[in-house]
Amino acid sequence: MFSTVLIANRGEIAVRILRTLRGLGVRGVAVHAPDDAAAPHVRLADAAVEIPSYLDGRAVIAAALATGAEAVHPGYGFLSENAAFARECAAAGLVFVGPPPEAIDAMGDKISAKETVAAAGVPVVPGRSGRGMSDAEVEAAALEVGLPVLLKPSAGGGGKGMRLVTDKGELAEAIASARREAGGAFGDDTLLVERFVAAPRHIEVQVFADAHGNVVHLGERECSLQRRHQKIIEEAPSPFLTPEGRAFLGNAAVEAARAIGYVGAGTVEFIMPGGAAGEGGYFMEMNTRLQVEHPVTELVTGLDLVELQLRVAAGEPLPFGQDAVALDGHAFEARVYAEDPARGFLPTGGKVLFLAEPSSARVDSGIVAGGEVGSRYDPMLAKVIVHGKDRAEALRALDSALASYTLLGVPTNVGFLRDLLARPEVRTGELDTGLVERVLPELTARETPAWVPAAAALARMRAVAPPGDGPWDAMDGWRIGAPAWSPHALVVDGSEHVEVRTRAAEVAVGAGDAWPAVLEDDALVLAGRRIPHRRVTGPDGTVWIGAEGRAWAVRERERTLRAGAAAAAGGVLRSPMPGTVLAVKVAEGDAVAEGQPVVVVEAMKMEHTVTAAVAGTVTSVPVRAGVQVALDEVLAEITPGEAG
Amino acid sequence: MGVLPGRVDLTDDQRDRNAAANRALAAELREQLARAALGGPERSRARHVARGKLLPRDRVDRLLDPGSPFLELAPLAAHGLYGGDAPGAGMIAGIGRVAGRECVVIANDATVKGGTYFPMTVKKHLRAQEVALHNRLPSIALVDSGGAFLPMQDEVFPDREHFGRIFYNQANLSKLGVAQISAVMGSCTAGGAYVPAMSDETVIVREQGTIFLGGPPLVKAATGEVVTAEELGGGDLHARVSGVTDHLADDDEDALRIVREIVATLGPRQPVPWETAKAAEPLYDPSELYGIVPPDPRTPYDVRSVIARIVDGSEFTEFKKEYGTTLVTGFAHLHGHPVGIVANNGILFAESAMKGAHFIELCDRRSIPLVFLQNISGFMVGHDYEAGGIAKHGAKMVTAVSCARVPKFTVVIGGSYGAGNYAMCGRAYSPRFLWMWPNARISVMGGEQAAAVLTTVGDTDAAAVRAQYETQGSPYYSTARLWDDGVIDPADTRRVLGLALAAAANAPLDDVGYGVFRM
Repeated sequence: MFSTVLIANRGEIAVRILRTLRGLGVRGVAVHAPDDAAAPHVRLADAAVEIPSYLDGRAVIAAALATGAEAVHPGYGFLSENAAFARECAAAGLVFVGPPPEAIDAMGDKISAKETVAAAGVPVVPGRSGRGMSDAEVEAAALEVGLPVLLKPSAGGGGKGMRLVTDKGELAEAIASARREAGGAFGDDTLLVERFVAAPRHIEVQVFADAHGNVVHLGERECSLQRRHQKIIEEAPSPFLTPEGRAFLGNAAVEAARAIGYVGAGTVEFIMPGGAAGEGGYFMEMNTRLQVEHPVTELVTGLDLVELQLRVAAGEPLPFGQDAVALDGHAFEARVYAEDPARGFLPTGGKVLFLAEPSSARVDSGIVAGGEVGSRYDPMLAKVIVHGKDRAEALRALDSALASYTLLGVPTNVGFLRDLLARPEVRTGELDTGLVERVLPELTARETPAWVPAAAALARMRAVAPPGDGPWDAMDGWRIGAPAWSPHALVVDGSEHVEVRTRAAEVAVGAGDAWPAVLEDDALVLAGRRIPHRRVTGPDGTVWIGAEGRAWAVRERERTLRAGAAAAAGGVLRSPMPGTVLAVKVAEGDAVAEGQPVVVVEAMKMEHTVTAAVAGTVTSVPVRAGVQVALDEVLAEITPGEAG
Repeated sequence: MGVLPGRVDLTDDQRDRNAAANRALAAELREQLARAALGGPERSRARHVARGKLLPRDRVDRLLDPGSPFLELAPLAAHGLYGGDAPGAGMIAGIGRVAGRECVVIANDATVKGGTYFPMTVKKHLRAQEVALHNRLPSIALVDSGGAFLPMQDEVFPDREHFGRIFYNQANLSKLGVAQISAVMGSCTAGGAYVPAMSDETVIVREQGTIFLGGPPLVKAATGEVVTAEELGGGDLHARVSGVTDHLADDDEDALRIVREIVATLGPRQPVPWETAKAAEPLYDPSELYGIVPPDPRTPYDVRSVIARIVDGSEFTEFKKEYGTTLVTGFAHLHGHPVGIVANNGILFAESAMKGAHFIELCDRRSIPLVFLQNISGFMVGHDYEAGGIAKHGAKMVTAVSCARVPKFTVVIGGSYGAGNYAMCGRAYSPRFLWMWPNARISVMGGEQAAAVLTTVGDTDAAAVRAQYETQGSPYYSTARLWDDGVIDPADTRRVLGLALAAAANAPLDDVGYGVFRM
């Protein structure tokens, strides 16, 4: 075993690897980007070195050499699937904790990977490709592959020119039009025919190979709950696979690994048609690294995959054979993302003002209270992982763990995760990769309970309480006649406007009745009902309230703080996420129409065009291209009025 | 300090009858206040709100710090006057806390005859300015007024204490460093234009506030020029061109926010001119006053039972307890502020008047504010008393009351008659504030006595005289004319006095000095 290992990563995975290193008595060295010096993985490591970027392989190798590390664990992402980096490690005399560079290369090219594994007898999505096929040959190939089929332009991408054909009668016309479109768009009308997999499931198999020719699989993970290819909730085992199906995929995965001389931890991803018998499945690709969702496999196998990686990398043989691999119970993982489901899952960010992680679950976390969540890195903050004796028990455990997950200061998807878990399809395990998108409108449309703005208003009253105890320091709105209400114009989560009135021990929300209310440090007693919650006021005055895994950011409406009528009429445009201004499309004094693009903000490689909410005249543009902007920072102000 | 007993010599039946009567009076007060607080007629209020304007009471509530008390001045001004057309005299005035600082707030109510000034409106505005002057409180005017109420121009325009005095006061208050701030949230016409123009710092609401000496109709009549109100004196013109205003607000809320920001920039406050102590609640519930105070001011009772329910810890150090017993004098604290209390316990005799003069001078020397609890039918009359020089002894007390430089606070808790009103710091003696309880009565003498006197000197209808005195002696008659600063619920007395004392603590004390005491 190594005595010192450098971790070329950050966040939860770096923390998780450090934990195993600590257990093994191995010294763990962290690297960090200049803006990440206070990150938890840096504080936890035995030594840490600043590098320009997590993608800077040379700097990583220099840091490893300087700190006496013998091996480099790349985690996932960053340099983990970079064959050149793996080679440079070897050249520098460092062990790359991962597969041989050749294996990375073999799986890096998706087309050649398919050909390689198909040659080894692993099933791939049936299809035909070939230059110079006539329309008739394409039609014959399609029928041979079996309907429904997808016709794809060989040269294209992004869905352009793609045709789904389910009926034989439509085939000829579809081929002709797909060719026309492909030729027009790409200058190449070569078509590729592929079996269309309806309502597919994403199931992947964890494989492990040592340098001594042993290859095992550690069962599968069901990852069908995803949104735009981003996995949200994973589980092991899959509720879908039969024992035969499991053996079939397992063997296929082992064969795929063998075919490329794989060493270390790898994951073979399969696509399976939904509604089928839980058998079959086609190879999609192989990830030549540790997966984000590896903990569910750890919880059902009882293995520490990072430890196994290190042992294999150190040249040890796998300490068990396939027969010894037993799956116990059921495990779930939910990913906590810094993203706002109510705003189209835009990345969020900010300072972690309060953090309480569930004690009933394994939480692989990359954040700490007081830390900053920025827009430069992956928005995944933590993983909540649970185990149960069966799927129902694990599901309950996950929901209860998420209910006690409180993060204030950075909006997350935890409430959304709980809503997703409550779906009947999830309860029964009838999953496919399109499920989340289909039910999204129902999951993101959720009303803020009335007690939330009530608690926020009372918290604001508390926050502005005068320090003294004189008669003028009273906050009960005393009048010679009936006492006055204190009005609070609040905005919940940046969009929902609520009027709250408070008066001594009373609160009224919107046009609702007044309720007796007492605000305690960790609860609101409203009309006799005690509602426990966590609450913290940020430095900008935003009151963050968390309960049952949900969190709300309540702030005073802008017009009472800053710009007036423009804000009231929607004329103040704010950054929907922390990021960088890519382009400013207007100048002060310009007339703009409603819906006209004003500023483009980029974050997490997503461009967001901020458009004028009202027609009017641009009165101020405090930002310019290239500047960093915070969430809700003012990008432009428009005075409403007739454009032009 | 001695603690006053809570015990009162009353049968349960007497107590119940007192409480029923006093609670009924308090309920009537609340009803009158609620009615006046609505402002103008429903239609006017709806039109006001439809223009995107906040009602004046909402303006005040939003201007003040969240939950801040508001010590309103004369909320029932003009009660029963002008055909009932001017609730509150079309104006809200009072003291409230803005950006952590007690300020005088004056808000026109445009739903009451366009916010125009009736005679009582002028009087209320001047009274609010006087409060600002005496207590050195920054003044905020939320202007929304058409100027003088033209049908009554002879009663609001020309005299010394008429409309023009407002601007004279603004200049002199500003001279003393009492900040003058205004927000123009509606019209501000003719003479009214000087309110913002005379202010230290002024806000105007865009496309809502207007300031001009002559409105569009007058301009057209005078010069033939056709111009809109906004062009003539709107926010853009005054903020960008004329410089009459300093801040351009987008709407009412924005204007109030700017005013709060202005107050936050004001200079340092004066130190409290007397020693304060930690406050303590009275030992006895102030609401017990309902059962204790006889609704008929002619019924005698021990005023110490009132003091016990007002002062901190019910603690009272009495001065000259055994001498001049119809006047109770002594030291106490109220919300932590030291006070000298002067309270009637019967008619004034020579001894009680001299005791009062002595005690007032003591408090003045010691920088202790004075609280007068007034329940007085007058000085003793008769040959022996005149011969004993009751006039010169009364004069001593009047001299002391007039010249004391410490703040004085008067609460009329029963009768306020004749020279007793003077010696006990009636309105003419410039107490910082003067309030009446709902059971109070005020007149030069009682109706019976007046009827008797008038019948003796001439041919008079005694019943008519009694009826006149009955009407004019009512606290509502008084408060309508600003003879006082408001009618208050007895249970609120401690709070009202506490707020007033704390507000008064903003002004430094003058030097001690007295006129000739006739010996």
